[in-house]
Amino acid sequence: MAACRTLVSRGVLTLGLHYQHVCRSVLVIQTREKKRWMKAYTLLMERKRRLEGPPPPIPRSQKPNWDYHTEVEAFSARLKERFSTDLLKTAFVNRCYVLSEEERRRSLGLDAVSTALNLTDNTELQEHGRDFTLGFLTDWCRGSFPSLPEDGVVAIVSHLTGSAVMCHVARDLAVEELAMTAEFPVPDDVLQATFFAVIGALEQSSGSDRAGLFIRDFLVTQLIGKDLFDMWKVVNPMGVLVEELRRRGASPPEPRLLQSSGASTVLPLHFVGLYCDKKLLAHGPGETLSAAEDEAARVALRKLFGYTENRKPFDFSPKPEPETSVQKQAISSR
Amino acid sequence: MTARGTASRFLQSVLQNGVGRYVCQLKRVSLIFSKNAQSSLGVREFIEDGVVDFAEKNPGIVVYVSPESCRIPKIVAEYLNGNVKTELVTNKTSQQIAELITKMANQSGLDIIRIRKPFHTDSPSIQGQWHPFTNRPPSTKLVGPQGE
Repeated sequence: MAACRTLVSRGVLTLGLHYQHVCRSVLVIQTREKKRWMKAYTLLMERKRRLEGPPPPIPRSQKPNWDYHTEVEAFSARLKERFSTDLLKTAFVNRCYVLSEEERRRSLGLDAVSTALNLTDNTELQEHGRDFTLGFLTDWCRGSFPSLPEDGVVAIVSHLTGSAVMCHVARDLAVEELAMTAEFPVPDDVLQATFFAVIGALEQSSGSDRAGLFIRDFLVTQLIGKDLFDMWKVVNPMGVLVEELRRRGASPPEPRLLQSSGASTVLPLHFVGLYCDKKLLAHGPGETLSAAEDEAARVALRKLFGYTENRKPFDFSPKPEPETSVQKQAISSR
Repeated sequence: MTARGTASRFLQSVLQNGVGRYVCQLKRVSLIFSKNAQSSLGVREFIEDGVVDFAEKNPGIVVYVSPESCRIPKIVAEYLNGNVKTELVTNKTSQQIAELITKMANQSGLDIIRIRKPFHTDSPSIQGQWHPFTNRPPSTKLVGPQGE
């Protein structure tokens, strides 16, 4: 037996084969034959993956083919905006990244002088961008819906600048992979703040006109197909309607049952109309009388505030380019 | 397989693209090829002829050229919505590769599956959902609990 083993080992040496540990309990002899160890190895890896779950996601910057400077320049070219590159790079650096990077360098044993990072974080830009975005959106809402009360404007603005919409837009503009954060995947609040910082950087580098157009093109378009009361949670629409009519100097609304069908079945339907000064203001359906009245009040509010489904679409056409001085000269010389 | 069994989606765009301004959805393209393999000949020619023009024409797309020892050259396209598409370009000519890369730049990156209809609207009905009183004149008699 011993002789046999020495023979095998000698054979291995002479033939240039060698043993290899692929993983525990699988010993691989490298030969140019059918790889019978492959099945055990594959099954083992599969079981491991099943137990441990899928591997954690890797940020794009740690995968091959990544050049940060080029990516940032391409980001601004893609959006057809003129960002100042330094400001844009600053906008992507979050406070949490700077802290974690300093901590990491310290834990690696570097001294305080060499651990100092020459990075400014985007806290200022965030504040600036947030103020600008809120101001612009509030002005835009007031301009587009002159009769909408302040509560409604605040509701629309907070929907658009909320975490859900901002993160959705930021992810689809590839802000997530450029943002420098401590954690990955990027948490929603950090991503939202980064996007505000990008808007702030745009405002500082190419003026409030371009930044306003940017917000209009990427945030306001998210309003398309959105209902007013999806964004503005009104508990008592009838109370709001009474208040609105009193403000306009009209008499309070009078609910009247217009149509009703199947009241004793499982599918009852009532139509309630709201009359104001003996004129039909709006009517709405509902399963119960109170639900129908609420719905009718909502329809009336939409009509009064000018946020009906069949309103004129928003104007998203690009702004005409301002005349350059050369064109002006050409016109004046004629 | 029948049409119902295949994956399908509605006609859509990423982030209402084109309503405000058009944003090219291809953000990054990597050309992976071998420096000496026969199958990468077309890619090498494309890199000599056309890749600089393509990158200059599309400043919003980052083009990476990475020579590796591989038999099968690839073009890996990454889109803004996170989708990654890999195209194998074995034995393709420079012209074919230029066409392929232009096609990728024009795509939106959404899955290429059956589109249910060539049009889509968020509000499919103009006159509203049907209910038992659609197209019925308002009743003159008393309705509801009082009328019964």
